[in-house]
Amino acid sequence: MKPVKIAMMGMTHGHTRKYYQTLLENQKLDWVASCAADERAKEVYELYKTGVPCYLDPEKMLAEHPDIEAIVLASANDRHFEEMKFCAERGIHILSMKIPSFDMKEYDAMIDMVEKAGIVCQIELEMHYNPVVKRLQQEIASGKLGKLLSIQATNITLSPVWAFPWQGSPEASYGKRVPLAPGDKRFRGGALCDHPHIFDLIRWLTGSDYDTVFAQVAPNLRKELEVEDMLMAAGKLKDGTAFLFDPSWSRLEERLKVPAPGWEIFPKRMEVNVTITGEKGMIQCDCFGPNVYHNGAPNDRYTVQYTYFDEWIGLIDEFVDCIRNHKTPKINLKWHRQTIACMNSCYESVAKGAPVKVEGK
Amino acid sequence: MCKKMNESLAFLRDKYGIPAGEIVAGTEGFELALPDGKRIPLLPWRVERRFVELKKIIDGKTLEDVSTFRFAAFAPGSDPVKAAARELDLAVFLAGSPIERIFAVRNGNAACNVLARFANGMSASVECGSKLPANAAPMDRHEIIARRGVASDRAVDTQVPQSSIYEWTDAGFRTFTDTDTELFGLPDEQIPVVRAAFAVLKNPDLADEWIKAAGCMKKYAAAVTDSDAGNKAIEL
Repeated sequence: MKPVKIAMMGMTHGHTRKYYQTLLENQKLDWVASCAADERAKEVYELYKTGVPCYLDPEKMLAEHPDIEAIVLASANDRHFEEMKFCAERGIHILSMKIPSFDMKEYDAMIDMVEKAGIVCQIELEMHYNPVVKRLQQEIASGKLGKLLSIQATNITLSPVWAFPWQGSPEASYGKRVPLAPGDKRFRGGALCDHPHIFDLIRWLTGSDYDTVFAQVAPNLRKELEVEDMLMAAGKLKDGTAFLFDPSWSRLEERLKVPAPGWEIFPKRMEVNVTITGEKGMIQCDCFGPNVYHNGAPNDRYTVQYTYFDEWIGLIDEFVDCIRNHKTPKINLKWHRQTIACMNSCYESVAKGAPVKVEGK
Repeated sequence: MCKKMNESLAFLRDKYGIPAGEIVAGTEGFELALPDGKRIPLLPWRVERRFVELKKIIDGKTLEDVSTFRFAAFAPGSDPVKAAARELDLAVFLAGSPIERIFAVRNGNAACNVLARFANGMSASVECGSKLPANAAPMDRHEIIARRGVASDRAVDTQVPQSSIYEWTDAGFRTFTDTDTELFGLPDEQIPVVRAAFAVLKNPDLADEWIKAAGCMKKYAAAVTDSDAGNKAIEL
């Protein structure tokens, strides 16, 4: 199979660096270029010494590498529409970060332009390629638990805003400045926008979709932020499954400009745990554990050293397979729309202080 | 068993463009057979992700000035001397230094306790046992103690390995720990074997290193037996 000529664009997303090893090692890819959003992103990119040239102008990148077939859009949420348009107009396949857009009109326009261009557009929801999640899906599909009745899930992390400031900007993260609720000085665009995984996962596990959701925010742990960092959501799926989600930035961090060892203050900086109750039993699941642990440099704090972290390998494999074999990715724009709709409904619920019916397809 | 492992190895070789080789059963464990007839003993623990990560923690100076390794390995019906030799090889790999002295006490084939000293001055204790009931999962623990920091593959305040998934159903209680997306579905104990074969094929320099290390493991096993028999420390 001819390797896919691939590039990265933006380089400001928190997941950017997680692609480097996979893009370099996978024989089915030829990583030819990167294009940073600005000088600062280029400087950070160059710290990792990938050996892949980095541009600041996408047109220049394409002029130098006209054979680019696919681009990973590793950028702030408010850049996605323009970048997708750039790719679609040129017939370049897209691997989009986890939030294509919160603006549903813009989102539908993305679906439209991708369909018209006939390109692959895969959404980066890497949990699908996590071996623990794979096992979880297998166990549930086996029917051992019976019909699922309830799911609780955490997707809790430190806050990446100090290294990736756009994630603390309502405009760059949510797409516009929308107050959380009357009388609340904060705006949409914080922890919720960073954590779509559990909202997506429950749909896969149950085969059902959202009916209603109620969400509430708590006082921020980080007073400087103008977006929410603590919230919870509870609701029901159409098949009756009850859920309770915690998508907060509830783990404090050192305010590093570039992610590095010692970033975390709480020992485990990222957790996706799922508890499932079925008619015939229950499961508790830690998607990122067990690991190895230390209390060494730089801060002598007890720290979880993530040991099994290869989601990006499977994700990229699927992307290449879809491009070369003209398939539709599991997580495509149309599928992901309901996940985004539910996240928007969470914000609406916070604003109203009441449960909200999740918008239909 | 080798058939499934070789299918998985073929998948990795194809994906990453790595040369040919086949996993075969050897006298002391699995080996990699190369097309030229050469056989390389596989040391799967050296590529097990938790140990790779512990080595990174040492080599990257997250721990400073390592002093002592405290290892334990218990498995149903295992040979505690061979298990000790394997744990000692792991300690050598992590310490980056050869062992110069071994003292051991055994109680038949049930248990084997070893104290080892490395050429660089580090110390290791290894506890091994074979009396877990037949269906019990192997139990092990690896702790590295340094002037700055302690690292371990077991979480603080736990005595036994944790799992990713705990499942309670009418069929009873089960646990799962899946760690490798590419080799998902292969039994847990086979995954490091495939990864070890892949590592040697990817990095041929490992072949001589592992042949030498396997030779050393035989010396560790002999030293353990001799030390226990003579109640004396054995210099290597």
